[in-house]
Amino acid sequence: MGTKRSWQGQPVTMQSKPETQFSESAGPTISIFENFRNELDEHHDRRERIIKTSRDITALSKKIIFALQRVRATNTPIPANIAKENQTRLDQIQTLFTNVVPDLTGINAWRYRSISSGIQEYIEAISFEHYLRTQTLITHAEVCALLPAGIMVTEEDYLMGLFDLTGEMMRFAVLSLSSGNAAATSTEPVEAEMTDAKKQLPHLAASQADLVVDLRTMRAGFEELSVPRKYHMLRDLQKKTEVMQNSVEKVERAAYGILVRGSERPSGWTPDLSAPVEVEAQ
Amino acid sequence: MIDQRIFEDLQTKIDEETTVRDELHDIVQTLARKGRSTQAILARAHSTPSDKLQPVLDDATASIIAQKDEVARLRSVADKHPFYKYNGVWSRELQNLVASIELCAWLGGLPEHKGTDSASFMTIEDVGKFLDVPINLKEQDAFYLTIEEYLLALIAMVEELVNISPPQRLSRAILSNFPQSRLAVNSVTLGDYERPLRIGNFIKDLFSGFQLLNLKNDILRKRSDGIKYSVKKVEDVVYDLSLRNLIPKGGATA
Repeated sequence: MGTKRSWQGQPVTMQSKPETQFSESAGPTISIFENFRNELDEHHDRRERIIKTSRDITALSKKIIFALQRVRATNTPIPANIAKENQTRLDQIQTLFTNVVPDLTGINAWRYRSISSGIQEYIEAISFEHYLRTQTLITHAEVCALLPAGIMVTEEDYLMGLFDLTGEMMRFAVLSLSSGNAAATSTEPVEAEMTDAKKQLPHLAASQADLVVDLRTMRAGFEELSVPRKYHMLRDLQKKTEVMQNSVEKVERAAYGILVRGSERPSGWTPDLSAPVEVEAQ
Repeated sequence: MIDQRIFEDLQTKIDEETTVRDELHDIVQTLARKGRSTQAILARAHSTPSDKLQPVLDDATASIIAQKDEVARLRSVADKHPFYKYNGVWSRELQNLVASIELCAWLGGLPEHKGTDSASFMTIEDVGKFLDVPINLKEQDAFYLTIEEYLLALIAMVEELVNISPPQRLSRAILSNFPQSRLAVNSVTLGDYERPLRIGNFIKDLFSGFQLLNLKNDILRKRSDGIKYSVKKVEDVVYDLSLRNLIPKGGATA
């Protein structure tokens, strides 16, 4: 090991340098950056708290959705056992939201958008519950009213939640279509103006037909939205649109399949949901 | 039944946001155009000896003040909206401007705007005061210069001093063919053997500051990792000079 020398040739004493570099008195730069460090640490801590809350809310919302998929009828109150189970989770979510409010006030509401994924999953859960009960879409204002004041629900959160709702509606529709109460033998008149001849043909039960129509209406609504590409607004829009279109087509296919071939299928048969629909790939 | 109005309302909101973005984007484009002028003026420092810099600094200051007017315009529009919703629209250009201000100040310009504390660069408070924008707001939702933007600007200024081109423009292989700091090298060519030392000391000082930060895996970390290469580049020049006894005695001491 040689001696480290300064550019003037004097030997440099090494032992004291790293010490002074980090001491309090090491000059204005150090104290300026110590201040920045504190500010940035505060920011990172807050960010991590919010991410954790968001993940917890997402997990609880997913459980709510799973429970709701056991419901078999629309436009009726949620069965008591499922409603009770979900209420516990909703209470937990409410607490999580309330606790995170101080981190999201004022200027921070738009700064920490990591809460967004939790909010979107929550919207998926409550909009699904709302749809099962009422066969209508929950509105943005209704979502906001369910959450503690201070939790901001952006239009993007709401829209993305609705996109995910179509996936749940698809699962629900396909299970419901194949669960045995499909309408191949139903005699209730679905449309009053049907002729006698048509009445003998198989048709879907009203609630199932409504589901298909609702999904189609939503698809049309989503597709009609025009979002300029230049600003990276709604970044997931394209991917979400494809998934949504796929879901709608799965339901349309399932409805067709049940209607035309329904009486031929073995009992307990359900349509295959594992692969995407291949409508045009024949 | 699906209520169509839900989608109509969403479209209204999207249209409103687009209008805001259009307005902000227009101002930022003007800011960027004026920013390129400022940077072109400051680039003349490479071919100007230290003692003849004043005209360059005067031109740069005038150009920076023209940019400052755009910042005022930007602020007046941005203040009407949530800060972090649209911050991304102007953040990059604001950083470029702050980097130009820091470089201009380091070369000796804007002397009346540098605070009296002994920092070798304009502090975030100095910059905020000069640009007439708040800094580090915590509660109030209004236009301000963030710490991250300020720190990224300092890094950009260091890179300009040693002229490391951003990796997206030059690959590592090409970078390694740029062995030395550009301003340091060009100063030597101009007969100024002292400036490389000043650059070296300044960058090392900033580097010790950045080492204090607990950075997460974000843009600030990626960019600040580059400072150590800048330190090395300038040290290479200082080493070359000291080896040959070319550094004036009594100049800036290491």
